[in-house]
Amino acid sequence: MTAPDTAQSEGPSATPAEPLEFRAATKRYGGATEPAVDALSLEVPAGDICVLVGPSGCGKTTAMRMVNRMIDITEGDILLGGRSVRDREPAALRRDIGYVIQQVGLFPHRTIAQNIATVPELLGWDRSRREERVRELLDLTGLEQEMGSRYPAQLSGGQRQRVGVARALAVDPPVMLMDEPFGAIDPINRERLQNEFLRLQERVRKTIVFVTHDIDEAIKMGDRIAILQRGGKLQQYGAPEELLMHPANDFVRDFVGADRALKRLALMRVRDVNLWTPDEVPFELELDADRRPQAWRDPQGGQSTPVLTVDRDDILRDALSDLLLSETQYGAVVDESGRLTGILSVELIHDFLAPEAVGSTNESP
Amino acid sequence: MIAAALLAQSDNGFFRERTDSCVTDNGFCPGWFFGHIDRYTTPFLQHVFLVVVSVGIGFAIAFVLAVTAHRRRWLVGPVTNITGILYTLPSVALFFLLLPITGRGNVTAIIALTGYTLLILFRNTLAGLDSVPEDARDAGRGMGLTERQLLWRVELPLALPAIMAGLRIATTTTVGLAALAFFAGAGGLGEPLEAQKAFKTNVVFAGGLCVLLAVVLDAIILIVQRFMTPWTRAA
Repeated sequence: MTAPDTAQSEGPSATPAEPLEFRAATKRYGGATEPAVDALSLEVPAGDICVLVGPSGCGKTTAMRMVNRMIDITEGDILLGGRSVRDREPAALRRDIGYVIQQVGLFPHRTIAQNIATVPELLGWDRSRREERVRELLDLTGLEQEMGSRYPAQLSGGQRQRVGVARALAVDPPVMLMDEPFGAIDPINRERLQNEFLRLQERVRKTIVFVTHDIDEAIKMGDRIAILQRGGKLQQYGAPEELLMHPANDFVRDFVGADRALKRLALMRVRDVNLWTPDEVPFELELDADRRPQAWRDPQGGQSTPVLTVDRDDILRDALSDLLLSETQYGAVVDESGRLTGILSVELIHDFLAPEAVGSTNESP
Repeated sequence: MIAAALLAQSDNGFFRERTDSCVTDNGFCPGWFFGHIDRYTTPFLQHVFLVVVSVGIGFAIAFVLAVTAHRRRWLVGPVTNITGILYTLPSVALFFLLLPITGRGNVTAIIALTGYTLLILFRNTLAGLDSVPEDARDAGRGMGLTERQLLWRVELPLALPAIMAGLRIATTTTVGLAALAFFAGAGGLGEPLEAQKAFKTNVVFAGGLCVLLAVVLDAIILIVQRFMTPWTRAA
């Protein structure tokens, strides 16, 4: 769609992301001997997802909430786009930072469209600009336009979480804070929402601080992961590969788990693998007119068996799990609209794991 | 206007023309009532006036108290205690206590009736504000709503069902209590009721008008509430 009037249309994202820097940021509560967050220093490059992960009580949520001053910093500083958050008026600062929480926190008395338009309203956007933006965001987050006139109670948990993300993106903030955003969603929908969100992030490129207690989610979502220990002590900060291949200490090694080699499967997506063509499989794949896989047919016997489809944006770990669960060697990989893009096999995944896994551990085939 | 009507209404012969046997026997005679309905117009309007003004002032006071106590929690105890005492005082005693200060008339009655509404309205408004989901509040603050915006745009709208429930109870109660306002010289339906309490027709219809008023006011508040809280019907 072309937007003739650029002043009316924000596009997926017009604001460039800003880098974020924690500079020995410390939070001390009166009466407590240990700080909740202890001199946390880390840099998040513009447009990256930084995941704060650790056991409960490790101060990850506190650290995140210091960014938009929901919790005030005791010592140290946090710089947003090179500017200290301490110099900014909290309400104005918060309007510039997207905010998504686990319980979503939609306003029950306002329609979905009104919820999404919360911050635009605070900033005094006129009605037509707000409506235009709401339409855009419903599209962007995969919600039907008619949802706009419903109330939060009429939506499913997954839909509410999408609205939460749309609402946080409303004024196209350069930075977003997300506190266990998919924590209250059932596992199947969580996987879908994670994939959707990553697809969305490719388009909007925000700097994101993402809090979770789930290391698998951290590996899947993070460009960088910060592992925190109780008392907000940073144990390691780096790319997921680095944490998995070279854990800095025993705490990190324990936290990422004994299945580190398998977790590397979470770093790759199905589309990153050199997929097979249907000819390389000893079965014939039936497709409908839109190239959607229908069934496998045995060329000799002629009988059909159901086909397993795999989303091309899935991570390899989930795809392998699906293959194992359905006791099949092959999965038909499809794009967002369900059209065939290639074939994934257990053999392909094995080949992907084999060369490097041998290097770091003594597992051999 | 009501004061003018009050002056025009002379006390003599208020219930004089009792000629037919049903009436002379103090029986139940609907025909008499509908023939003399104009005698109840002024007391009825006085009653409406007392209820609406008392609940209105009571709500204004209780609203300010509840919003203040919502942020300054230490106020909850003292305010509950004081409004609780006002609520327990017998209304007739309160009228007589106030008479030397404010004299006979509307002011005395309205002060006393207002006092009775405070506890209910305060507690319901506060309970409504307290029932706002914590996550909605957190999200609101996190998006940059100031405390004032949070109150007016999020907390008060969500407290509306509880606030309106409080208004309904307070209004119904006040309709009943206002029947005693004639002790303070403020008229109301209690006056004709008391004047001819042996006459069944009078008692039934004056009392019936009280009930009717309570039902109608209650229905009006309910309709306003449904109009103001469309989300509560979205399942």
